[in-house]
Amino acid sequence: MAERYLTIALRFFIIGLGVLWSAFPIYMVVSSSFKTHIDIFAVPSKFLFTPTLDNYRQLLSDWPEFLDGLLNSLIITTGATLLTAIVSLLAGYAYSRYQSRMLTASAFFMILVRMLPPLVVTIPLFPIINWLELNDTHAILIVLYAAFFVSLSTWILKTFIDQIPRELEEAAEVEGASLMQRLIKIILPLSVHGMVAACVFVVVFSWNEYMFALIFTSSAAKTAPLVLAEISGSLEGVQWGVLFAAATLQLAPILIFVLLVQKYIVTGLTAGAVKG
Amino acid sequence: MADLKLSNVDKSYGGFAALTDISLDVADGEFIVLVGPSGCGKSTLLRSIAGLERISSGDIVLGGRHLAHVPTRDRNVAMVFQSYALFPHLTVAENIGFGLKIRKTDKATADSKISHAADLLGLGALTGRYPRELSGGQRQRVAMGRAIVRDPQVFLFDEPLSNLDAKLRVQMRTEIKALRQRLGITSVYVTHDQDEAMTLADRIVVLNGGRIEQIGTPMELYDQPVNMFVAGFMGSPPMNFIPARAVDGVLTTASGPVSGAKFASDTQTDVMLGIRPEALSFTEGGPLSGEVEVVEPQGAQTLVIVRLADGTLVYASAEKHARQLPGERVQMGFDWAEAHLFDSDSGQRIEPLKTEGLQ
Repeated sequence: MAERYLTIALRFFIIGLGVLWSAFPIYMVVSSSFKTHIDIFAVPSKFLFTPTLDNYRQLLSDWPEFLDGLLNSLIITTGATLLTAIVSLLAGYAYSRYQSRMLTASAFFMILVRMLPPLVVTIPLFPIINWLELNDTHAILIVLYAAFFVSLSTWILKTFIDQIPRELEEAAEVEGASLMQRLIKIILPLSVHGMVAACVFVVVFSWNEYMFALIFTSSAAKTAPLVLAEISGSLEGVQWGVLFAAATLQLAPILIFVLLVQKYIVTGLTAGAVKG
Repeated sequence: MADLKLSNVDKSYGGFAALTDISLDVADGEFIVLVGPSGCGKSTLLRSIAGLERISSGDIVLGGRHLAHVPTRDRNVAMVFQSYALFPHLTVAENIGFGLKIRKTDKATADSKISHAADLLGLGALTGRYPRELSGGQRQRVAMGRAIVRDPQVFLFDEPLSNLDAKLRVQMRTEIKALRQRLGITSVYVTHDQDEAMTLADRIVVLNGGRIEQIGTPMELYDQPVNMFVAGFMGSPPMNFIPARAVDGVLTTASGPVSGAKFASDTQTDVMLGIRPEALSFTEGGPLSGEVEVVEPQGAQTLVIVRLADGTLVYASAEKHARQLPGERVQMGFDWAEAHLFDSDSGQRIEPLKTEGLQ
């Protein structure tokens, strides 16, 4: 009995360490965003303090482009996610339902592309994107971000679609459904867990991505992480409170999103591990 | 409803011939059962009619329409799958109405058709449920509902009862029969269960190795099997095959000569004497003799299994309270009218020249 309690206690201790490890930085950022400048640097750190919204007020007055950045991030994240979802559903379906030498070869290249360090493609991309006049547009980041995740999402969706019995589609076909109708009415609703799991990766990546945004946008499509970087590198010296406020605003939506869909992520990532 | 005509249908995968020269006419409203062992091509044939398999050559004509180049979704057939293939994310009503929705039937008509079908199948109270909340028999009914609601030209059933337990299977079999008598729908039904075939069919098609062995009413197949395969497949327990030799037109088994029938052959031919268990009777001085091996009471009757002199095991139906005991020596007789003769080599039926009297 005592041994069992010990195991449970140990388990909680380890989980506790894990939670502390990941939640502490978030706590520091969020709590500091509500602190005055003096409280932020108080040693030892203050757990009880009088919260203030001054940092947020100052953020809005000094850095109005941060809101534009958030809006751009939202547009680009949504676009990249939708594009990835559509492409990977179709590709995952093809990989799941058809067999050919071409498909096998293309699957290999899809994984190969994923092995490339993203930086390698950046330099050759630059002149191409200039020539296409896609610099500083939402479209270019949408396409780039989607391109990075299509391979992973396709793989996740293929695993899901593999588990949908072919007979369901045949039944739908006999009932008069076209390929498109089968995809929308049968495959899509039955692979929605995989879809969400795949999309989480794209959402988190697109929302936080810095390097490509830095290289390919300047003003019109500038995303929130770029503005954040500007705040921290401001010439007048870093306003830590403002920076924390901005970081909190940047963090909150993605955190809420991940919490909302976490049950999908777990089933999504373990799909195919056990035969149902 | 419509008639269905298959002519010279072939289907091969690479070098493997799944179906060879299948020709079959199904009359309007007729219930055809395709029966045969696993891998005989019966499901492939059904799927070919549905368009889920593409035939290599031949022609399929449904209600005067050639189906060769018609995609599955435009064939106007309905199919009930072995796994039921219900859509797990849709309710019973949505499952039944799936085809109507795809075909953009207006909502009022669709709703009345769905509720009519649901009532007909005793699903009225379950229309809001999801497939996972239903029992096996109820799922089976939903699959039937999805088929009947669209008024298709032909119904295709792919072993629809094989996932049910024995008791439910018999019950659903009766329901399907009642339903078809009520709706009078042209149907093609695949099963490996010869009981199901006998009870449901207007005509049975026996398939083996991708070829049609025989087409006929259940009783024709039972009474006049064209070869040993059909004879052995229909009926349970199966027909007994007793090796014999026809010498100068007279038949001799390991137990001795069997009088009462004359054969065309005037040379020596190896044959198989086929007798169903219920056609054998325990008669003193009968032409077949052997030793009782096992006695199996089955309730309504008792099966007596006899080992003949050459080692052949013969199943004989005796009355409820059989007097025979294991180890006992018995003699058995039969009526030539209920006996069959097959060529040992080809397995084909041989008709006797003349028969006379009881043994």
